[in-house]
Amino acid sequence: MFGYLVARLSQAVVVVFAMSVIVFVGVYAIGNPIDVMIDPGATQEIRENLIRQYGLDQPLWRQYFTFVGNVFQGDLGRSMVYNISVTSLVFSRLPATLELVLVSVTIAACIGIPAGLYAGYRPNSIGAKLIMALSVLGFSVPTFWIGMLLIMAFAVELGWLPSGGRGEVAEFLWFKTSLATSNGWSHIIMPAVNLSLFKMGLLIRLTRAGMVEAMGAEYVRFARAQGLPDRQIVFSHILRNISIPVVTVFGLELGSTLAFAVVTETVFNWPGVGKLIIDSILQLDRPVMVSYLVMVVILFVLINLIVDLIYARLDPRVRLKGGS
Amino acid sequence: MLRNTLRSGLATLAILAAAPAVMAQDLTIGLRAGPDSIDPHWSTLGSQAEALRHVFDTLVDVDDKLQLKPGLAVSWEAIDDTTWEFKMREGVKFHDGSDFDAEDVKFSIERIPEVTGPMPMTLYTKYVDSVEVIDPTTLRIKTKGMAPSLPNDFTRLFVVPTETGKDVGNEEFNSGEKAIGTGPYTFVSWQPKGDLVLERFDGYWGGAPAWEKVTRKEIPDDAARVAALKSGQVDLINYVPATDYLSMKGDNNLETFVSDSVYILNIAPSVKDEEPQPIKVNGKEVEGNPLQDLRVRKALDLAINRDVLVNVVLEGLGKPATQLMPEGFFGYTDKLGKREYDIEQAKKLLAEAGYPDGFEIDFTCTNNRVPGDAVVCEALAQMWSRLGLTVNAQALNGTVYFPAAAREEFTMTMSAWGTLTGEAAYTYGALTHTKDAEKGFGNFNRSGYSNPEFDRVFGEGSQTLDPDARRALYEEASFIAMEDRALIPTVILQTVWAAKSGVLDMNPRVDQETRAYEITPE
Repeated sequence: MFGYLVARLSQAVVVVFAMSVIVFVGVYAIGNPIDVMIDPGATQEIRENLIRQYGLDQPLWRQYFTFVGNVFQGDLGRSMVYNISVTSLVFSRLPATLELVLVSVTIAACIGIPAGLYAGYRPNSIGAKLIMALSVLGFSVPTFWIGMLLIMAFAVELGWLPSGGRGEVAEFLWFKTSLATSNGWSHIIMPAVNLSLFKMGLLIRLTRAGMVEAMGAEYVRFARAQGLPDRQIVFSHILRNISIPVVTVFGLELGSTLAFAVVTETVFNWPGVGKLIIDSILQLDRPVMVSYLVMVVILFVLINLIVDLIYARLDPRVRLKGGS
Repeated sequence: MLRNTLRSGLATLAILAAAPAVMAQDLTIGLRAGPDSIDPHWSTLGSQAEALRHVFDTLVDVDDKLQLKPGLAVSWEAIDDTTWEFKMREGVKFHDGSDFDAEDVKFSIERIPEVTGPMPMTLYTKYVDSVEVIDPTTLRIKTKGMAPSLPNDFTRLFVVPTETGKDVGNEEFNSGEKAIGTGPYTFVSWQPKGDLVLERFDGYWGGAPAWEKVTRKEIPDDAARVAALKSGQVDLINYVPATDYLSMKGDNNLETFVSDSVYILNIAPSVKDEEPQPIKVNGKEVEGNPLQDLRVRKALDLAINRDVLVNVVLEGLGKPATQLMPEGFFGYTDKLGKREYDIEQAKKLLAEAGYPDGFEIDFTCTNNRVPGDAVVCEALAQMWSRLGLTVNAQALNGTVYFPAAAREEFTMTMSAWGTLTGEAAYTYGALTHTKDAEKGFGNFNRSGYSNPEFDRVFGEGSQTLDPDARRALYEEASFIAMEDRALIPTVILQTVWAAKSGVLDMNPRVDQETRAYEITPE
């Protein structure tokens, strides 16, 4: 178990390293950030001074090692646009994204999994067919379009909910979160539903597929022959057996939603990290891009690790060995 | 219990929905872009200056047509070739109650090089050699050489109190600790990309503004901004997209305000001896650079139907442009006349130049910098194809376009240029003057254009302190560059604000700034 953790974490280090090289070279290939940011009225002299000041006249490898050196001293750098440290910039916006993602995956799981179970349990009923049809819509209709429809309906026409932005925040336990105020909930509900639709569709289909397969499996028939009630068969036997793929996909989706909820964040003007990273890319704010992507890689590695640990818990046949 | 919670939640929602009607003294604005920092010396970004003007005053201000008017300085004059004298406004207070005087201005000028970032404010102090405080209301600036445009540069010189210190940076300003100015509003709170909250400053020298509390929300997405207005979350938005503008005009609940902008879409044909991307006839690269021939550039110009660009492509939100600046700017020449569309004449000129069957040319534009840049780009390519050219039009993201344009990799480009200072030196000095690092001219001259006659007239203008004589010289310089098709202006972009009906009244500004203190309740 311990060996396993060490192996996984050292893998992560390699991935983070590779990623930072790719981003660095990529940004270098696009061009000089100063040319994107600089004011049109700047003289050649001002431009050259800046390039020197930010070390952009140095060869690529030296710029990279300066960056790595700073990271090892715990300094991810300062944003070239905001001139505040990247860590505080990202963490000022992370809570907003976290709460949005949390609410949306909860909605997706609470509706998606039961709906999928039902659709697999009675595959020929009208309800099941309806659920399946809706699930197709869930992940085939573009998110931003549904977002716009939601805004038009609930904010512009009906006037029930605000069209965007994050609500008031209040202290809850140790966090400042908008989930602690009713105003916050009125702001979060639309973007969270919007963000959950794709995942919900995916979970419904996965759960249903597993369910249909399991219903015909021998252990289910055997349990039935024993006279166990259906409720017990579904919730304590089948659910456990089909959770492995569900947990895998859930974990991956959680990661990608955290990192790239940008479409929903843009449509609903949600002050999360997704929008921050897109703006940083547009302005070639390299310290923010590199550091953020490094954080994303770490995030994915951690989520995958947790997923693996859950596997072991769900399926006694899975053993976690070092180096595997 | 749950029911009660739900009920109180719904009640809160209902109150929220009704809130704007109750608090008539509050103004909430949805803006496409906000500041990057609260430190007024950090960046030259336009949206930064626009936001910080509410908190800090500049030494010189500009009116809605970008012409100079007194700010913290009540008057200024050049007392000799290299000295400007500014007279300070008396009785001005900072938000913390301390008095404003010339020392604060000196401090602010000297603070800029210490703290400014990759969009450097040193741009506005580049002519300053030394600053001398004669008495609390008199400031003398020694300039490096003659600097007729110094008052223009000082329209972006925000003044902070001497007590601020040179070592404080963005953190102290963003937290509000050092966000102390003389402006009409006091700073309440801000976070990067978040809302800027402001409160009326009752001791403002220009008279306290109408709105008690102003919230400037940053909503970059066009559709989201429009939705925020329509749902009543905000009272006013800027940069309404053209498509929404048409539907808003017919909506009784909304009011629109249209204004010319400083931005003009210009075509820059490279006139270097060898064009960066080859121009071809029948697939073979031509000898020399056809764009060096004035007849070819004139033909390109004549083939542009500006009325179509304005009325069809931009859906009415534009004006045909005859030069690089809008009318009324310092150095705008009225000798040029309207640019006519004449395809026959264009074909004739092209044939005379030796290209009766046209040629194949690459044409590169931006696609996300200003509204309409990508569509105008495509429309131009089609117009030139009627002239017989094969145009490979490509609209690029600004992130890719600008570095490549700086490396001068394009044969012909189109991008927007805004005369942010309201005078010709800024625009023509950067775009059409021969590249000259020493004098600081031609920094954005990527086409290789060089005309000694233009340089002479413009250079004389830049060394003339008398405003009227300078204006005449700049007008002549504008005329020379435009007749020479150094750049080919196409359209002046217009921008739209929209507000809830009956809430406010505003006079839209040509620099597109949304200044809460110039907006009045209806």
